[in-house]
Amino acid sequence: MDLTLTTEQRAFRDEVRAFIQARLPDDIRARLRAGHPPRKQDTVTWQRILNERGWAVPHWPRQYGGADLGQVERLILLDEIYRAPAPLPQVFNTNMLGPVLMKFGTPAQCDHFLPRLANLDLWFCQGFSEPGSGSDLASLRTAARREGDHYVVNGQKIWTTTAHLADWVFALVRTDDGARKQEGISFLLIDLKTPGIRIRPIRSIDGDHHLNEVFFDDVRVPVDQLVGQENRGWDCAKFLLANERTGIANVGLCWERLDRAREIAQQTTQAGRPLWDDPKLRAEIAALGAEVRALEITNWRFLLTPAEQARVPAFASVLKLKGTELQQEINALLARLAGPQGLERRDADELAHGPLTPRYFYSRAASIYGGTTEVQNDILAKALVG
Amino acid sequence: MNFELDDDQRALGDSLARLLADRGAFEQRRALVAGDAWHDAQTWSALAGLGLTALPLPEAHGGFGGGARDLLPVMQAMGRALSLEPYLATVLGATALRLAGTDAQQAQVLPGVAEGGTRLAWAHDEPEGRHAPLWVQAAARPAKDGWRLTGVKSPVAGLGPAQRVVVSARVSGAPGDAAGCALFLVDPAAPGVQARAFRLVDDTAGGELRLDDAPAEPLGDPLDAAVQALAIERTQALGLAAACADMVGAAEAAFALAMEYVRTRKQFGRAIGENQALRHRASQMFVALEMARSMALAAAVAADEPDGEHARADLSRAKLSVGRNARAVAHGAIQLHGGIGMTEEYAVGHSLRRIHVMDQCFGDADAHAARLAALA
Repeated sequence: MDLTLTTEQRAFRDEVRAFIQARLPDDIRARLRAGHPPRKQDTVTWQRILNERGWAVPHWPRQYGGADLGQVERLILLDEIYRAPAPLPQVFNTNMLGPVLMKFGTPAQCDHFLPRLANLDLWFCQGFSEPGSGSDLASLRTAARREGDHYVVNGQKIWTTTAHLADWVFALVRTDDGARKQEGISFLLIDLKTPGIRIRPIRSIDGDHHLNEVFFDDVRVPVDQLVGQENRGWDCAKFLLANERTGIANVGLCWERLDRAREIAQQTTQAGRPLWDDPKLRAEIAALGAEVRALEITNWRFLLTPAEQARVPAFASVLKLKGTELQQEINALLARLAGPQGLERRDADELAHGPLTPRYFYSRAASIYGGTTEVQNDILAKALVG
Repeated sequence: MNFELDDDQRALGDSLARLLADRGAFEQRRALVAGDAWHDAQTWSALAGLGLTALPLPEAHGGFGGGARDLLPVMQAMGRALSLEPYLATVLGATALRLAGTDAQQAQVLPGVAEGGTRLAWAHDEPEGRHAPLWVQAAARPAKDGWRLTGVKSPVAGLGPAQRVVVSARVSGAPGDAAGCALFLVDPAAPGVQARAFRLVDDTAGGELRLDDAPAEPLGDPLDAAVQALAIERTQALGLAAACADMVGAAEAAFALAMEYVRTRKQFGRAIGENQALRHRASQMFVALEMARSMALAAAVAADEPDGEHARADLSRAKLSVGRNARAVAHGAIQLHGGIGMTEEYAVGHSLRRIHVMDQCFGDADAHAARLAALA
């Protein structure tokens, strides 16, 4: 048993740290440190810098612009990005669609899309959820009817994060009504500039615009934008949902936010004394740190140990459940630290204390997206109880 | 990074688990508690036969030189079996003796420990100190014919079955001072020593040691403040790591019982484990158990490498996290059982009793939250 990095791993961490230190623009770092979500241009700028080293898609093979990094190096890189703090590589491109194309896509699709995904020349969003299909994703109804060498798509997607910023969407559509609900689904890539697509913003409880509804009205999609086989899109979806486990726990984010909480507690005074002087608050921060450390070791233990994965096949649910809980607790703490001065409603960018109160509101989404806490509990309970 | 036991560690843990399943089944444990014995002498011999009493001792004195990592699977098995053997008390007494005692002192005591003939106890905590790590009021003074100790040590795990006790006492300074404590070997049958042995709430052997000008043999040089302080700190760190492993074992046992119960217990014509409310509780308990497992590992590594990067913080984080998470598992396991979980004749509640005892030793969750707050 050993919890330390090897000399080579330590050298890699130092290399990453030095690279981020030298190349991360100050204004991006400052915005994220204050608690703002990255702007689109922040993510694009930073991902292109990372992509110079293959670090935008570190887990991809070199032939597609990746760095072929092993699991430990990936975790180190992710941790350093979070702790900087710097924007993460755009997740739909790099962790979802990219691996799906490598597994199910044609060589032409790979050659065309993968470099653009890595460099964020195209911004993809994910068109999975529908008004009637949330946790029961396979019940989706957005239909794609084959007409010659096109699919004609009609229907509606919802909760589509960043659709208003995106160039393309990868969507699950129904291509066969008769079959078992999982069997008539196909995985399509759709250019959002195609006629018949309408995007309507959904304001979330933080007052900001992350989410959208996307309407498809006789949208014509060339058949060469089908990924994998027709009616086998569920395979792609399952692969996509099961594939991404490295970032699921968000450990580095928890450390960075907890560190920020400590900083705010030291810098903010109440009746002339720093909040940090309150031993109860310090103990609360310490207790959160203990749980983040527990999550961090659990994350390594599962991701790096095949025997542990075999013992707990549903380990991703453990990571998602605990990671979500901690993110939400830390965001709630940050909002309490922002206190009464964090109450004024303003455009997110001009908040003196950072947008900690609205970020707390939006953190409630963490236990809803990516498989709700209830679904994760169901998955884990199935393995435990039967 | 590596999160797995090596083959020897795993084999030892497995052998011990088999031994305790044979000799320490819950029914045997109940019978033992109903009688006068603190523990089962045959089980103790069998532990020695497996080499466990020699495990943490130096090779020069008949031991295997094992550390906290080696103790992890052992203590986990002890916790899982709710063992009554005064193993940890003996390990800690031997560790303190190894760290502070002269070579001659080690040669005199440790081979007996290794062979299983000698049981020790570690008497550091005092009633007034509660969880303060160095609140030692017991006073040591040099007399003409050796050193004398006066003070109260409580609770002392394993006091009843111990032949010798390693006691911390102050040669200088005030309670709470980092320097000025030293370690002494005390015979609990000596004049001036009142050893009141009792069972702790988890049925393990405990006790209170009242010293009134009692004769004591200093371990090493009692005025060598650095060596003495280090011996206390490292012994407590090993105890903390062992307590974490023990709590994980006790939580595992409670969790396993609860899963078995919800699969088999029927109400309203179906297994209660089909109810989502119970299923989700099981899932949350499992998450807590995995967190505790991770931190027991962190504690073992930190106790073995006390000068490592995060060692001091990891020890406190581990005690805090394991204490809270193991307790949550035990609470959930009792709840899933319903009424039967509340009965003394059923094992699940004994996990909670054991976890509570271990949480209260070597600093409880709150105390370690406060220590972490002071570190930051």
